[in-house]
Amino acid sequence: MTRYIIRRILQAIPLLLIISALLFVLMQEMGDPLATFGGRRVLRSEDRVRLTRQLGLDKPVYVQYLVWLVGNDWMKIDLDGDGVAESYGTRKGMIRGDFGTSFVTRRPVIEVIKERLPNTLLLMLTSQVVILIVALIIGITSALKQYSAFDHVTTGLSFVGYSMPIPLLAIGLMYLFAVNFKKWGLPYLPTVGMFEPGAGRTIPQLIWHMVLPVTAISTISIAAYSRYIRASMLEVINQDYIRTARAKGLRERIIMYRHAFKNAALPLVTLVGLDLPMLLGGAIVTEGIFAWPGMGRLFLDHTVRADFPVLMGILMMISVAVVIFQIITDIAYTFLDPRIRYD
Amino acid sequence: MFIRKAAYVALAVMTVVSLLAACAPPTPQVIREEVVVEKEVPVTVEVEKEVVVEKVVTATPVPAKPKIVTISFTQEPDNLNPLYTSMWFSMILREFYLANGLLVYNDENAPIPWIAREIPSVENGGISADSKTLTFHLRDDVKWSDGVPLTAEDYVFTWQMIMSDRNTVQSRDPFDVAVESVEAPDPYTLVVKFYEPYAPWQAKIFSNVNMTNALPKHILEPIFQKDGTLDNADWNRRPTVGVGPFLFKAWESGSHLIFEANPNFWLGKPKVDQIFVRIVPDDAAQVAAIKAGDTDIGVFISYADIPDLQALGTVDLPKVSSGYKESWFFNLSTREDKTKGHLALQDPKVRQAVVMAVDRNKICQDLLYGMTRPAITFWDGTPFANPALKGIPYDPEGAKKLLDEAGWKVGADGIREKDGVKLKLRYATTVREVRKNTQVIVQQMWKDVGIDSELINHSSDIMWNSYGDGGPIATGQYDVAEWSTCPAFPDPDTATWLCKEVPSDENPAGGNWQFFCDEELDVLFAQQMSTVDTEARMKLFYDIGKIIEDQVYWISMWDDPDIWTVSKKLKNVRFSGATPFWNSYEWDKTE
Repeated sequence: MTRYIIRRILQAIPLLLIISALLFVLMQEMGDPLATFGGRRVLRSEDRVRLTRQLGLDKPVYVQYLVWLVGNDWMKIDLDGDGVAESYGTRKGMIRGDFGTSFVTRRPVIEVIKERLPNTLLLMLTSQVVILIVALIIGITSALKQYSAFDHVTTGLSFVGYSMPIPLLAIGLMYLFAVNFKKWGLPYLPTVGMFEPGAGRTIPQLIWHMVLPVTAISTISIAAYSRYIRASMLEVINQDYIRTARAKGLRERIIMYRHAFKNAALPLVTLVGLDLPMLLGGAIVTEGIFAWPGMGRLFLDHTVRADFPVLMGILMMISVAVVIFQIITDIAYTFLDPRIRYD
Repeated sequence: MFIRKAAYVALAVMTVVSLLAACAPPTPQVIREEVVVEKEVPVTVEVEKEVVVEKVVTATPVPAKPKIVTISFTQEPDNLNPLYTSMWFSMILREFYLANGLLVYNDENAPIPWIAREIPSVENGGISADSKTLTFHLRDDVKWSDGVPLTAEDYVFTWQMIMSDRNTVQSRDPFDVAVESVEAPDPYTLVVKFYEPYAPWQAKIFSNVNMTNALPKHILEPIFQKDGTLDNADWNRRPTVGVGPFLFKAWESGSHLIFEANPNFWLGKPKVDQIFVRIVPDDAAQVAAIKAGDTDIGVFISYADIPDLQALGTVDLPKVSSGYKESWFFNLSTREDKTKGHLALQDPKVRQAVVMAVDRNKICQDLLYGMTRPAITFWDGTPFANPALKGIPYDPEGAKKLLDEAGWKVGADGIREKDGVKLKLRYATTVREVRKNTQVIVQQMWKDVGIDSELINHSSDIMWNSYGDGGPIATGQYDVAEWSTCPAFPDPDTATWLCKEVPSDENPAGGNWQFFCDEELDVLFAQQMSTVDTEARMKLFYDIGKIIEDQVYWISMWDDPDIWTVSKKLKNVRFSGATPFWNSYEWDKTE
C-alpha cells in the first residue's frame, strides 16, 4: 500500500505541472488585469505602459509562466523602462513556494488564500456534515420503506430541492427568517456577515450566522445525495447475500448497517471523494449573498479583475486537493470492499 | 453504528474548525472606556512602528452603548495605501483614516482648505505670476496618530514614492507629465513647480480624489530603504498610523474593516465611536440588510430597489453626483482596418438622427423610475457645463428627415440603405441588466425610423481591454458603445477626445476609442490644461461643450448619480460627490 501511495504521488507531479501550464495559458484569455486598474475610469495610457512593464505583463506567455514556476531572482529585469535590464527580480516561483503577488491587492497569493480558507472550511465542512447526516437518514429510510408515504414525500421534496436555484433559495431564506421575522416580532436570524459589529467573533455568533448559509448550501445537495443513497441501498438490499443474512437469522439492524449499507456506501464514497476537494473552492453564490468571506468570493472577486496569480493559486490548490482525495478515496475502497487490493 | 461514528467524527471536525475560526486573529472590540488625554501625548516610535502612547485615563463613566456606524460596501477595497489603488471604495475610506489631502470637497463639491491653510491664488501669493509655481502653507497643528507632526516632508516623500521605478503605483498622474519638482523649504510650506501652468491642480495635486494623499514618511521611508519598494509594506494593509477622524483598527479579508474614533483628531474627537464597514457583495443581500436595519449606510443602490426602500420610511436616499454620465460613444474610425466604424456615422446629421430617434426621457422614466434624466453636457453638475446648450430632443420624424437628407433611404425591408450599404449599427455595452434593457428599447426605437441594429454585450473585464490587448471597444468592434464615465471629477479635464490618444499599433494604450481627431477640440483641450484662471477655463469648456454637441461626438443617456441609503438614526451626514465622507467627524447616531 505504501509503495502504491508513493507511486501515485510521484505520478501526480508531472500531472500537476501539465495542469499548471494549461491553466496558465487559459488564464491569458481571462481578460486584461490592467483593464480595471483605472477604477471607475479608463487607465491612463502612460500608466498602462509602465504597469505592463513593472508587472511583467509585456513578456511572452512562456516567459511569464517560467517566472511563475521558477521565479525571476536569477534574471535581470528592466524596472525603469529604458530598455536595459538592470536589476534582479524578486520572485522565487511556485516550486519554491512563491505563488506570486496579487495584481489587485499587491500581497502574496499564499497570504490572500490563507485568510479565506478557514472561513470556507468552516462553512463548507459544516454543510457537508449536515448534508451527509440528513441525506443518509432520508436515503436509507426511503429505501427501507420503499413506496411508503415517507418515501413519496421525500422523493417529491428532493426533486423540488434539487431543482431550486440557489440564489432564489438563499435570498428567500434571508427575507423569511431575517427580514420578515424581525418585522413580525419573531426571533430572527442575521442577514449577512459572520458576526455582529458590537459582539465580535465568538463561537455563538459564528453558529448563529451560519444557520442560513448552511441551510442554503445543504438543501440542494441533500436532495441529490439522498437520491444516490436510496438508489444504491435499494440495489443492495435485493442482493442474495442480504437474503442469506436474513436466513441466518441476523437482526435486521445488523443486516442493514453492517451488510447492506457498507456495500451501498461505495458509490457514496466516490461521490464524497470527488466533492470534498471542491469544498476548498467555496460556494460562490452562497458566500456572495450571505457576505461570508470565503474562497468562493475570493475566486469571483479576483476573476472579474483577471487577477491570475490569485486564480492560479486557488486552482492549483484545488488540483492538488483533487489528487490527494483521489488517493484517499482509493484507500477507502479497500476498507469497504476487501476484494480491492492495490499491491 | 456507521452513521453515529460519522456523526461523532463530523461533530469533532466542526468543533475543531469552529475553534480555529474563532481563534483567528482577534477582532478588536469597540473602545469601551472613555480615554481622555489631558496633556500633549509623549510618543516613542520603534522600528516596526510599535507605538507606545502614554495616556491618562480618568474615571469617566463607561458609555452604555458605543455608537457604531455600519456601512455596507458591495466591493472590497483592494489596498489602503492610496498609491496602490484607484478603486472608489478604497478612496472613500481614506477620508476616515488618512484624510490629509491639501484640499477637500464639501457637499456642494466645492474645494475647501483642509491641510492647506488656504487655497492658493494669485491674490494671496499662492500661485506665482507665471502660474507655474504653487505654494501651500500647511496647518501646523495636525499630527499623525503616533504623535509625529504631519509636515511638508511627508508630501515630498509621497511624490518621491510615486515617481520611484521600484514602486508599482497605480498612477503617476499628473506628476510624470506636469510636475517638475516638489519641495519643502520649511516644515509647513510646500512648493510645487510645474513645467507649464497646470489647471487641474486642485483635484490632482496631493488630493484624495487623485490617490495622492500624503504617506507617513517616518513609517514608510525605513521600509522603502530596507525592501527597496513600498509594494509589500505592511502599512498598505494595516495603516495603523493616520491623521483622519478615525483610526484603522482591523481588516478581515472579505468580511469587514473597523475604524475607531481618533481622540486626537485636529478638529476634535468624532461623535461616533466606530465605523464598521461590512463587505456585502450581493446587491439583493445589501438591500435585505438595509431593510433589516443591519446597515446604516449603503451605496450603489439599484434604481429598481428605490421605491421599496423609500416605502420603508427608515432610510433617506440621497442622490449624489460624482460626475458620471451614462454615455454613448460613436466609432468614427475611417481607417481601412479592423477599427473601421459604420460609414453612415461619419455624417454628424446621421449621428444626430440616431440620437433623435431615441426617447431618452422615457428610458429614464421606465427603467430608472424617473430618478434621473439625460445630461446635456459631459460637465453637467459642475461650473464647466455650458448653460446655453439645450441638448438633442426626441424627434423621430426629424430623425427620419435628417436620414433622408443624408441619403439613407428606406429599403424594401424597412431598413435604410445607401449605395447598397444597410444602416445596421453594432450597439455594444456591458452585461449590466439596465444597459441590456436599454439596448432592447433603443433597438425598437431605431427600427421605427429604419435603423437596424446588432446588440453586443461584453463582461466588464473584457470590455475595457486596451487596443493592444484586443479590447472590443478599443479595437473599434462597435458603432455605438455605451458605458458610464466622467471627467477627472471634480476637475473638468479629460483625455477622452485627444488626438494623441487615438489607439493604433504604435499607440496600443491609447484611450480615444472613438478614433477621431478634431483639431479645434484638441487645441481647446490643450488651452484649458494651462489656463489656471477658473473663469477663463470655464469659457474654454463652454466652447468645448458646444463643439461636442454640434458634432454629436458624445451623448448622455442619463446622468448617473451615486444613490446612497442613510439610516434616519444618523445625523449630519453630508456626502460630497468627490470625497463622500469628508465630514465624518461630524456624524452622529441616535437610537
